[in-house]
Amino acid sequence: MTQEETERFYKALRDTNLSAIEALIEEHIEKQVSPVVILNEGLIGAMGIIGQEFKAGQVWVPEVLLSARNMHRGIDLLKPQLLKNHVPSRGKFLIGTVKGDIHDIGKNLVTMMITGAGYEVIDLGVDVSKERFLEVITKDHPHIVGLSALLTTTMLEMKEVIRTIRQTFPKTPKIIIGGAPVTQKFADEIGADGYGEDAVRAVELSNRLLSDNASR
Amino acid sequence: MKMEMKPLSTPKRRFLSGLFGGRKGDRISVANPTSIISVELMEKTGIFFPEAHLDPEKMAELAAAGHEILGFDTIMPEFSVQQEAEGLGCLVDWGSPTMMPDAKTHPAKEANDIQIPENLLDKPSMNVVLKALEILRKSYGDHVGIIGKVMGPWTLSYHLAGVQDFLLWTLTDSDKVRRFLDRLKEVAIAFAKAQLQAGADVVVIADHATGDLVSPKTYQDFLLPVHQEMNQRIGGPTILHLCGNCSDRLRLFVEAGFDAYHFEWQVDAKKAVQVVNHEMSLIGNISNKEVLFGGTPEGVYRQARYSIEAGVDILAPECAIPLQTPLANLKAIVEAAKEGYSPMSC
Repeated sequence: MTQEETERFYKALRDTNLSAIEALIEEHIEKQVSPVVILNEGLIGAMGIIGQEFKAGQVWVPEVLLSARNMHRGIDLLKPQLLKNHVPSRGKFLIGTVKGDIHDIGKNLVTMMITGAGYEVIDLGVDVSKERFLEVITKDHPHIVGLSALLTTTMLEMKEVIRTIRQTFPKTPKIIIGGAPVTQKFADEIGADGYGEDAVRAVELSNRLLSDNASR
Repeated sequence: MKMEMKPLSTPKRRFLSGLFGGRKGDRISVANPTSIISVELMEKTGIFFPEAHLDPEKMAELAAAGHEILGFDTIMPEFSVQQEAEGLGCLVDWGSPTMMPDAKTHPAKEANDIQIPENLLDKPSMNVVLKALEILRKSYGDHVGIIGKVMGPWTLSYHLAGVQDFLLWTLTDSDKVRRFLDRLKEVAIAFAKAQLQAGADVVVIADHATGDLVSPKTYQDFLLPVHQEMNQRIGGPTILHLCGNCSDRLRLFVEAGFDAYHFEWQVDAKKAVQVVNHEMSLIGNISNKEVLFGGTPEGVYRQARYSIEAGVDILAPECAIPLQTPLANLKAIVEAAKEGYSPMSC
């Protein structure tokens, strides 16, 4: 896909009207562009640009929410084609806000960005117990687990979740944490494999952890 | 001829002088535009959340501990951001000593869904604040600064519609956002006026169009005219509380007509003082995350001295403190202020 084509996807992701992305996806399917290319170079490529703009402070949360909404619509339209082609995901990512915490905007932003980066995401929602995390890890074997907390109270719950997971799974999955009160220092103290300051950094961190894993 | 000694300033004089950018006196004032209640403070007073959110006597007594025990120059009795939410029909979980209240439902998807009851100010979760202010005015109003607090229309929209939907509408349905703000500003104005009448010296308007969520242009387009109107109609002194890194929009807050802006550590105090140029007072900006909650009294002291030397008008934590904040760290703010404008040791 040319840079101009990716640029068209970028514009469609930022359009307040859903029909822009719908028309663009249909146009590419009709032209028989591979759904893998539409996904990776179109949608994910364009979302990557928006992510970088967000990180650089050029766009704000409403723009990210809008492009995530549009991207989800695009993926829905592509799904039948993708299933036919059996596109492998980049990795499996389990995410949830820890027990006692019902805040989800930060978690949702990470979910959107991670989905946009080509991961298969299992979103457990808010107020998730450590037992529930363990149960899903045992069943679905995610590569990465993301824990979110907005409150200083519930931030301490992350430590418990990590302890519980590590008793059964000493090395993998990788566990990363984030949320307003969280710092790198805190992540190190509780034995997390990483800390993402914002949604884009969470994606970068996940990519890095997976490539570290693969190169080992 | 020997100069006559100035009378020692009192908490109220210090605070009011700082609020209006007036005479500096012997030292900077320490205030709390947002909650400074911690679990330790609850244990010391024997008054706990969630009762203190809904009982005026308990609310007033716990709030006063900020002055009595910590030595702050002000008392601010509204600890949560959900007092109006319940009055407007959200289901609120009032939390626990370690958990702040939270709205569980967001009942409005259209501006017409917003129900403003005729007797709004009599709703228990709002009336409690007015009653607590009346109690505080009687016991402390002569010598301590009394601060009221209301949620602005942006924050109320989050409660009523949900943060994610409301933020998305700023792009997809700007007229709806304006209709929400237009209706909900009336709640903020009415509650602010009632708080001033009940005995508050100043009212904080907390409106979370934060620097981390929206752009300066979003503030300018949607909120600036609303805030200008609110400041005109409220009539009494106002402090804007709006968190996040707002270094890029400080002039807009000046333009909105607030007497003071309560700001975060992310905004550099020196730059803020320069940009605002004494056209509005600056209150802040000790970091919650790094030093008050996660640091030591020494760390707090260093940040406090930095802010004093930068020329902020009033010293304060940057936002409502985490409930597990150690008392020693809060007291360190007051200690740093007591050293005056030229520190004994730094």
